[in-house]
Order: sequence, then structure tokens, then C-alpha cells
Amino acid sequence: MITREVCERVLRKAISTGADYAEIFAEHSVNHSINMIADKVDNISDSVIAGAGIRVFKGLRSVAASTTDTSEAGLLRCAEKAADALGQGSAEISINLTERLFGDIHPIKTVPSSVPVAEKIRILKDGYFAAREYSPEIKQVSGTLLDIDHNILIANSEGLYAEDRQIRTRISVNAVAEKNGESQTGFYGPGRRMGMEMFEHEVDAKAVGVRAAQQAITMAGAGYCPAGVMPVAIGNGFGGVIFHEACGHSLEASSVAYGLSQFCGKLGTQIANPKVTAIDDGTIPNAWGSINIDDEGTPAQRKVLIEKGILKTYMVDKFNGRRMGLPSTGSARRQSYSYVTTSRMTNTFIAEGEDSNDDIIASMEYGLFAKEMGGGSVNPATGEFNFAVNEGYMVRNGKICEPVRGASLVGKGSDVIMNIDMVGKNLDLGTGMCGASSGSIPTTVGQPLIRVSKITVGGR
Amino acid sequence: MDFNEFKKCVINAAQSLGLKEYELYYSASESTDIGTFKHEINEFSSAEDGGVCFRCIVGGKMGYASTEELSAAEAESIVKRAAENAKALENDDTQFLVEGGQEYRKAEDKGYPLPDTPELIATALKGDKALYDADPLVIDGSQCGTGVSSFKVAIANSKGLDLSYESSTAYFMAAAVVSDGKEMSDEFKVVHGPFDKLDIDGAVKEAVEKAKAMLDYDSAPTGNYPVVFSPEAMTSMLGVFSGIFNSENAQKGLSRLLGREGEKIAADFVSIIDDPFYPENGINLSFDDEGSPTCTKAVVENGVLKTLLYNLKTANKAGVKTTGNASKAGYSASVGIRPFTFYIAPGNISEEELLKKAENGVYITSLGGLHAGANSVSGDFSLQSSGFMIENGVKTKAVKSFTVSGNFYELLKNISALSDTVKLPRPYGKTAFGSPSVLVEGLSVAGK
Repeated sequence: MITREVCERVLRKAISTGADYAEIFAEHSVNHSINMIADKVDNISDSVIAGAGIRVFKGLRSVAASTTDTSEAGLLRCAEKAADALGQGSAEISINLTERLFGDIHPIKTVPSSVPVAEKIRILKDGYFAAREYSPEIKQVSGTLLDIDHNILIANSEGLYAEDRQIRTRISVNAVAEKNGESQTGFYGPGRRMGMEMFEHEVDAKAVGVRAAQQAITMAGAGYCPAGVMPVAIGNGFGGVIFHEACGHSLEASSVAYGLSQFCGKLGTQIANPKVTAIDDGTIPNAWGSINIDDEGTPAQRKVLIEKGILKTYMVDKFNGRRMGLPSTGSARRQSYSYVTTSRMTNTFIAEGEDSNDDIIASMEYGLFAKEMGGGSVNPATGEFNFAVNEGYMVRNGKICEPVRGASLVGKGSDVIMNIDMVGKNLDLGTGMCGASSGSIPTTVGQPLIRVSKITVGGR
Repeated sequence: MDFNEFKKCVINAAQSLGLKEYELYYSASESTDIGTFKHEINEFSSAEDGGVCFRCIVGGKMGYASTEELSAAEAESIVKRAAENAKALENDDTQFLVEGGQEYRKAEDKGYPLPDTPELIATALKGDKALYDADPLVIDGSQCGTGVSSFKVAIANSKGLDLSYESSTAYFMAAAVVSDGKEMSDEFKVVHGPFDKLDIDGAVKEAVEKAKAMLDYDSAPTGNYPVVFSPEAMTSMLGVFSGIFNSENAQKGLSRLLGREGEKIAADFVSIIDDPFYPENGINLSFDDEGSPTCTKAVVENGVLKTLLYNLKTANKAGVKTTGNASKAGYSASVGIRPFTFYIAPGNISEEELLKKAENGVYITSLGGLHAGANSVSGDFSLQSSGFMIENGVKTKAVKSFTVSGNFYELLKNISALSDTVKLPRPYGKTAFGSPSVLVEGLSVAGK
């Protein structure tokens, strides 16, 4: 993308006013997506994202600048802007870059750009029409097939010069079912850090459509969820969004370094129920949220965040790590060159426990089974979170009963992870996009079936 | 190369491919943001981004391709890619490009002079000091941010259209963290506008007061109550559900309002206006993202649905004229539909009278998780809320960690009063939402 020699000259300019660290992040990405609605291919989006971001640090100060002009002159201008913003001073470190290859633990068999559009459309149609034709109650469907070829280069004043190529593919289907004049939606959207081979053995496009349609139909027939405080069982896979929001964000250095986390100063102490072990693992081969190196060039890691309820580590990037006195954990991520990197999650999940799924449901006299979760959000400082339940069922006397719609879960992260008192054995991962200050990035959430002994359920 | 040079390359490439109908859309933005932590500037960022989107009609279909790399090779590539993409499309909508030479209402030029870096730094530090001085409960973690941004948009097409627009603004943000030793609470306030007119002390004071008010809180008791939504809370709701007035959603079965113009869909005294020239919005736009002239219109008037929002494609399908609401969510996006300044028109009672009218209920000042807890297709919402109890017509105890649930279509009909002042909490952007305080009868609250 940019030669080692050019990077050296640009980094020298960046540190010229006394920075103790400088970094170039350059990107060239091709995003391709096909959308279908009303039974037709409606839109194809095809875009090239290209530019570079330069950061310099001096002690606990950070300056970032970005540009779309990746010529040497453009990069030097950008570096000068960053250097000037840092203030007055002179260069005190030397720049000598060594190319480093980290290897790729995410083999790609079929690079999406080498597959004809017609073939991609055929796959999308499999998923689309599986939903459309599932039942006459399905009144509308939309579907998207997305592939991303994200090439990054990181060079820094510590001598690193490394590149990575991240290819991701995702299919999603949104179905609308209508019953008695009311509409409800169903959604399923699995993705992998893979090429088009994802559809050979990992993801069955038709099954994606069927799952979206089934959810829409179930919810269209459902009554409203009753409101109140009750025990809730949360399904495996995307249900793990509860840990991501209620706890994960509060373990990111971007909150912790500033004292804005419910879990500040809690390393080594019990913050969760002893049944809870939670892991952030960027190294799972071909998983949606996996990386070889993070966006500061640190290799991805597998980190046990919480072990049997005890807080073991935070997720740390280089800049926030300075304030905390901690090294990077390979957690630096950004959507693109124009965002400023910060600590984020990769594939984050609650590990398998020892309770059987049957026992979990049987333990609930009156409660909610949140089979499929929607998105959520959190205030990391206080831990207050909220989630939507996309597919929920009432549980009475240990049995799953009628479906209910319109439920949401609210509470405080530090309470809810203490209240996870049963953890099942069917760990699965779910695909998501996580939005925060450094943009929207692919992340995986996951868990087996869990029970939260009590939580506020919003409904009516 | 710069945009004008790139434009020439694109036109050459389009002509040599024999394309007759095409458009080039360009947008670019520049922004500088700085933030404080513990009385120092700890972050400074300066971002430039932007790109171009080429679209063309081939065989009746509109193909798109876009890039951020302005080079001769990319100019040729996006033209080819867009023409190829058009061939794979199947929708049978009639596609349009806007003719050049139309009349446009002149939008007031609100370009502000931008401050330099030392001025920004001084403002951030001044805000930071004011924040710590505002109250002894303010703790480390409180931060201030300030910045400036400017953007430009240009649209040119094969039918002689050649329009451009530039705008700039500044903001100041105070994020207050307060603690009484037991509980921690944080709230923020952002103000936008010309840099020299930013009300820094006002923003600081509001953030601190809001955070302090939430230190000693309870959860709301579960039940059905009259609910008052503050302008901030109602505009978040309106932001999510404005999509029901989007004609494309309606035509695709994703809104219940298709063909319901002339029907009553809201309480008698409710009007909802879309105004591209709203004085308080820092951006006034005389053309939309297709290049059609924009206009002010009532979408709902006295409870009756008057019109949906249209672009050229959906207006043609419905047999009406475009309302000039074509919009792209970023330069690379396809043309969709968005409102400009979209607001609920004010009523005629003060906020105090509104609370009196509610008598006993909940006053919601903030809603969370809208991207997840509100379904724009069904209209159902179940949202994390915070605010105050209303007892005997006055605001009392702070409440949070509860949800309010209902359905937006029903909510419109169950509005029983509107206060007399419209606020635009985020008054800058191609799309902004506004509302007075709104009293809604009988919503479900889930708390303790």
C-alpha cells in the first residue's frame, strides 16, 4: 500500500515536534453489497474506502489526523498537522522499520471479489425466497449479501511495518409477517471472517431465510409481554449480547482508563457470579470478530476476562494502556482510517457451564425465556443497559409456554452478572456489529443458555 | 487529483462507454475535535474524509459505484463498475435524473468563520474549569470536548444539473460525572452553532444539574400512567419512527401509512411539519440529494395525514410530485428518503400546565436503546427510560432503570396535550428532529 521508505519519512515528520510514539494506519478496502426487496435485486453497492490515519503520542496526550490523500506529499501534510498540534519540541527517537509477517490464521478459500455477481445473487435469492415462500403470512422480505475486503497497513515508531487482509462475508434476511392487520419482523444474519466458501459448509442460505420467517410468524401471533421483575433465561448464541453490553463495554480501557467504568479498580476481585467465566478471543479461526493483528499491529489474543466470577483482565489498547500502566491486549480497533482507534471487543462470550438446559427452564416457576435477543446499549460508567428481546416466550411451572412480543430487559451490569446463577452447556456464537467512538466494527457475541435470577422486563 | 479534474475523467469515461444518463455526487468533510481530561487536553483529532459516487441508467436500471480514491484509474473503474452493477439489477422502478435549470429557493448562508486550534484549546480548557468549578460533587472522568466541522456536497449530471453546497459549524460538549461517594451519575450536553456564540456555561450547568438530579433515584413503580415526554425524549422517538412517513418504506410494506393520506392518524391538534429552511437548524437546504428543489410541508395537519415524504422514484410510483426529500446516507449510499427539520408543532400550554394536566404519572427526560427497543415496522417500542415522577401535577423524585412501552401509531392518537415551545436538541444536520413536551395517556411502565 505504502512503501517502508515512505512510511519512515512520514513517521520522522510525525515525531519531529517531540512525540514519543507515532503510527500510520493505512487502509484500502472494497465493500460490496447486494440488497433484495419486493422479490427483486434492488440495489448493489460497490465502494472503495482508501486513506490513512496518523497518530502521535507524547505522554498521556494523543493527536490523530486523517487524510484521503495517500500520496507521499499528502501523508507528509497529514503528519505535519499532527506534529504541529502536539506543540513545540524536537525529535528524540529514530525511525527504522522492519517488515514483520504475523501470518494468517483465517484461511480464505474463495475471495468474494473473484466470484461473479450472478453467483452471489443466486445465493442471496436462496435465502430470500426461503423466507418469502415460507408462509403466505410473510408479506415482505429484505435480504443483503455483504462482502468486505479490508486491507490494512500499520507502521510505527517502534519499528513495526505490517499488513493484514481481512475478508468477511455476511448474509442477512429480514422478514415481515402480518396477522390481523399487525406486522412483526424476524431477523437472522450470520457472518464469518471467510470468503464465499462460508456457504459451502458453515451457513446454509436457505436456513437463514427460514429462521427469519419463523421468527416473524411466531411474533406476529404473539401477545404483549407482561411487565415486571422476573427470572429470565437467555438463549445461546446472540443472547451473549447481554454480556457484551452489560459487562464487556465496562471492561474496555476506553472506559476504565478514565474512571468511567463500573469495574474500575476491581482486578482480582469477584464481580460476577462464580458460575460465570467470560472470554474475549480474537484468535478463533474464521470467526466474524477475529483478527490476526489489531489496528495498532498487536497480535490478537485470547483473554479470560472473568474466571469463575473473578475479574482477570481488562481489554487494553496502547494509548489508554499508558494511563493504566498496562500493556496492550491486542484490543485496538477502528472502523476505518478516519476514526481514532480505541479498545474494543473481538469475539466475546460466556464459557460453557455445568447446568443442563432442561434444568434451567424447569427451575423457573414464572419468568421469560428470551430465545433470540435484538441489540442493546449500555452506559459503561454506571452499567445501566437495555436490550430488546426479538423472540420471547413465557415460562410457567418450568415449561415454555406462549410467545410474547415487545419485551425488553433493563438493569445494571454489575447486578446482572452477579445474578447469572445458571449456565448451560450449548455455547454458540452470534454475529453482530458494535458501534462506539471508533466506529462500527464486526464483533461476535456468544454464550450457552443462561438464567438470570431476576431482571426488569419491560412490556405491558 | 482534485474533484474537478476527477469529474472530467469521469465524464470522458462515461462518454467513451456510450452512457447517456449519469450523475456524479461528491461529498467531503473536514473536522477537528479536541477533548480534555483532568484539566489537560488529552485528545486532538483532525479528520478529512469524503468520496464520490457515480450512478448511471443502463437499460432502465440505476447502477452505483463509489470511491474515495480520486485518480484517473478509479474514475474509469467506477464508471465501468456502475454500468456493470446496473445490469444485475431487477427492480422495475422508473429511474430519474433531475433536469438542470430549475428554480431554487435561496437558503440562508450559515457558513460560520472557523476558529483556529489555539482558540479551540482555550475553549475546551475554559469549559473544563467551569465544569469542575460548577459543583463539589463533580469528579475526575468529567470531560469537555469542542470542535469544528465543515462539509461540502456537489451534484452534477448529464442533464445539465450542477449544484453545490457548503456548510460549517462548531460544537461544545460537557460530560459531567458526579458522585456523592455512593452512587455515580453522568450526563452530557452538547451545544451547536457559530463558535463565538456557543453557550459554554449553559451547557456545563445543564450537564451538571442533570447528572446531580439522577444521583438519588428510584425505579418507577410498574403500571399504566400518563407519560410526559420531554422534547429530548420525544425527538429520539420521532427520529426512530419518522420512517413510517417514508414513502419507500410504505410502498415496500414497511409502514402502515400507504394510501392513507386524508385519514386521521393522530389526535386532532397534532401537526407534524418537515421544514428544510427551519431557522434554528444550522443547515438550510434548497435542494435534495437528487438535486430537486426542497419545500416546507405539513406531513400531518390537525391529526390528518397530508402527505408522505417522496423522492422522484417513489413519487412517480405513487403518481404524485416529489416532495424534495431524496437523501443519501453518505456519498456511497443509494438515494433514499429523509426529512429535513421534522418537528411536532407546538400546542398552547406551558410545561407547568402540561404537568398539572398529567396529575400523577411519569416525566421522561431521556430514552435509551432506540436502535434495539423500537421497531419501526410494527411501531412497537419498549425503551429504557429515565426522568421524574409526577405527583399532584409537579415533578418529584428522579427515576431510572425502568422501561416505557407502547406502539407509536397508537401513541400519535393518544397524545392529549402539547407544550408551547418546540426544542431542537441537536440543531445541526441535514436531518434534525424537534418537539414540544408531549403528554400521552396510558402508557405501560415497567420498573420495580
